[in-house]
Amino acid sequence: MDPVAGLLAGFGVILTWQNIQFIFIGSLIGTLIGVLPGIGPLAALSLLLPATVALPPVGAVAMLCAIFYGSMYGGSITSVLVNIPGEAASVVTCLDGYAMAKQGRAGAALGMAALGSFIAGTLGIVVLSVAAPALGAFAIRLGPPEYTALMALGLACTILMIQGSALKGAIMIGAGAALAAIGMDIITGEFRFNYGSIQLSAGIELLAVVIGLFGVSEILLNVENAARGMAVKARLSGLWPSRVDWAASWAPILRGSGLGFAVGLLPGGGPVTASFLSYAAERRIGKDPHTFGKGRIEGVAGPEAANNAAVSSGMIPLLALGIPGNAVTALLMGALIINGVQPGPTMMTDRADVFWGVVASLYIGNVFLLILNLPMVGLWVQLLRVPYSVLFPSIVLLAMVGTYSANRNLFDLWVMLGFGVLGWFLRKLGYELAPLVLAFVLAPLLEQSLRQSMVMSPDGAMIFLERPLAALMLGAAVLMLLLVAFKGLTVRKLGGTT
Amino acid sequence: MTIDITRRHLIAGVAGAAALPLAARAQSRLPVPKPAGFPREPIEMTVVYPAGGGMDITARVVQRFVEKHSGERFLVNNRTGGAGLVGHTWLATQAPTDGHAVGVIANLVISDAARSQGRWTINDLDHIAHLNAEPLNLCVNAEGQYRSGGLRGLLDAARARPGTIRVANVVGGYYEYLIEQLEQASGSRFLKVPFQGGGPGITALLGNNVDLAFGFFGEISGHLAANRIVPVAVTGRQPSPFLQGVPTVNSVIGRDDANWGVSRWIAVPRAVPADRKAWLAAAFRAAVADPELVEEFRKLGAMPDPALDTPEKLNAAVQQMAEAERAYLIASGRAQR
Repeated sequence: MDPVAGLLAGFGVILTWQNIQFIFIGSLIGTLIGVLPGIGPLAALSLLLPATVALPPVGAVAMLCAIFYGSMYGGSITSVLVNIPGEAASVVTCLDGYAMAKQGRAGAALGMAALGSFIAGTLGIVVLSVAAPALGAFAIRLGPPEYTALMALGLACTILMIQGSALKGAIMIGAGAALAAIGMDIITGEFRFNYGSIQLSAGIELLAVVIGLFGVSEILLNVENAARGMAVKARLSGLWPSRVDWAASWAPILRGSGLGFAVGLLPGGGPVTASFLSYAAERRIGKDPHTFGKGRIEGVAGPEAANNAAVSSGMIPLLALGIPGNAVTALLMGALIINGVQPGPTMMTDRADVFWGVVASLYIGNVFLLILNLPMVGLWVQLLRVPYSVLFPSIVLLAMVGTYSANRNLFDLWVMLGFGVLGWFLRKLGYELAPLVLAFVLAPLLEQSLRQSMVMSPDGAMIFLERPLAALMLGAAVLMLLLVAFKGLTVRKLGGTT
Repeated sequence: MTIDITRRHLIAGVAGAAALPLAARAQSRLPVPKPAGFPREPIEMTVVYPAGGGMDITARVVQRFVEKHSGERFLVNNRTGGAGLVGHTWLATQAPTDGHAVGVIANLVISDAARSQGRWTINDLDHIAHLNAEPLNLCVNAEGQYRSGGLRGLLDAARARPGTIRVANVVGGYYEYLIEQLEQASGSRFLKVPFQGGGPGITALLGNNVDLAFGFFGEISGHLAANRIVPVAVTGRQPSPFLQGVPTVNSVIGRDDANWGVSRWIAVPRAVPADRKAWLAAAFRAAVADPELVEEFRKLGAMPDPALDTPEKLNAAVQQMAEAERAYLIASGRAQR
């Protein structure tokens, strides 16, 4: 079926009163869980999975998808307003978003985040509708060597994100990688660094790390500042992005869309990695890199576009091939199977109604989300009027509920609180936390694919040079490191300041 | 469907409860009397693997039928981590022993007990109701080099060029044992590329990044239908009813112990009172005996085992599986007698 006819048929399937309701409900729940720190799309989807058994498959999956991308819209809200990421994918949004809020530009940041999300999400779906099978077939050919190269490139980009001391940044990257090594060795199945503990042998939960490092530590800092009578509260002024904001943001949004789409397409990639890479890219490309982190709208627009584009392209391996690339799409696949639809390469033809219905639902959901989010900006900003003595205990409570709901494991709560205290110390000492989180996400993927590559290669590391795409990406990573090494030199030549 | 029903289902789902219309419940015809005061709340069906996976889907299907036959409410809860170790440990050592928590587990619990470093054994659980079982399917890429020679051709190729055939492995379990048996049969070595689970291995097979991969039916059926992969053999004592004309590994390599696969059942902590155990066993047994559930299992590629119809037989079978695995570990030099 050609894309246009397919999409038309898809809209025919999805445009029933009932399905529209499902998409709307999904968008609403998604925004909400995006706003609530701790409760991520994964936890929300697994809670809602039983409810979808009784629904028709298209409506059920459309609703679950809406929750997933809805959470990407909502995730930026607490990042901007109170410097606490609603999702792991919104961590970098804190950096410039919160700085903007402190300058009274919370509305501009939120408005641009919603617009960027919408543009990227829609662009992603257009590409998905036109090229899903071809892109899927391409993604599947990528093996461990290509992933190794991609992850190396990602880690090299992390270095670009470091704003202060390079040494401190490197320590944080090392710490992230070391923390991620706790648990089961993915190659031998042996336990590492678990010190005889069953809990540690499961590894450390990403969600608990993110919520602890960013959420709990932020609250600790604020409590401290309030106790000393020097709390800085974000101010309110303009609610909407200005013409100047828009001029600064359109290019980052497009770049973020492209980058996010590419990252999301790959198994193991996803919204978290996409948002980090987009931020690193914007800092590299943008004028005056040193003003990033101090309220640059590009630092909000790019990453927020990237995480939504990654969600759209993440659907491609699932819908076109029946291969889930991350935990959330694995759950969506489970939802399809429970509803009697076998995902796989034949789904596009055997169950064209489901395939195109779900694709069409993505368009509708993104429109709903824009309508939900733009006018709501004013409402969300009112959140700042809530006294911290009410707001922060509520956030801690929600964070605890959310963290517990991920694995139903009390140990995760201790991890979250421990990382909260650790994050508080690190921030006081001037260490950046974002590189730690990105290393925590990327290092295990790098380790796994590197070791897989070395096992599957009869002639050692040559496998990275024998496969062109891997060689290309490794080359880019090396170039990136060289750029950093000679940063002072290049910047001076270009007439900037370090 | 009206708006109200939709809304009720959603609320039920948020509360973690089952989306089962009230009318479908209420009549219970179990052969065992319901214990006094039990259950006083929905019974948690603990799945130690993530939502959406094979075990989770099985549990959610069983949930519908056990609710239908018991007239009581059950809810599926995923306690994940450490490839199942965290959830298994919870079930064996921390789960409530009043019958309100049951485990939906598989024979993988046996190797997890060994990994628990003596904290618990499979005898800390009582295995009360068998659900289903399925073999491992050995597959090659439909456009790859080994598409037509079958398992025999692959073993010959391994013999001719040792250490070049790439096999997707999942360490510390059946995948690894099966590869060893194939290596012994070919007198050669494979390149064992490690993956985290069968699904990623099948993905690597589709991209031609490995030459041989094993998967459960749910992991391969979509790709089989699209003629992307070709099954070359199945584990177990008899051929799979889902793959006509595909031989058993045993028949190709002349053994009788290449029987690795998954067997799924319900277990409760040993300390659960006997009357509650008996009622739970009867409820799950009634669900598994329902032809509609058997049909659901078939769609997922698994079959119930009519021989395991009582807790006693299941407990004996679990012991037997544990002994067979231990015998293999000793024979392969992994464990001391």
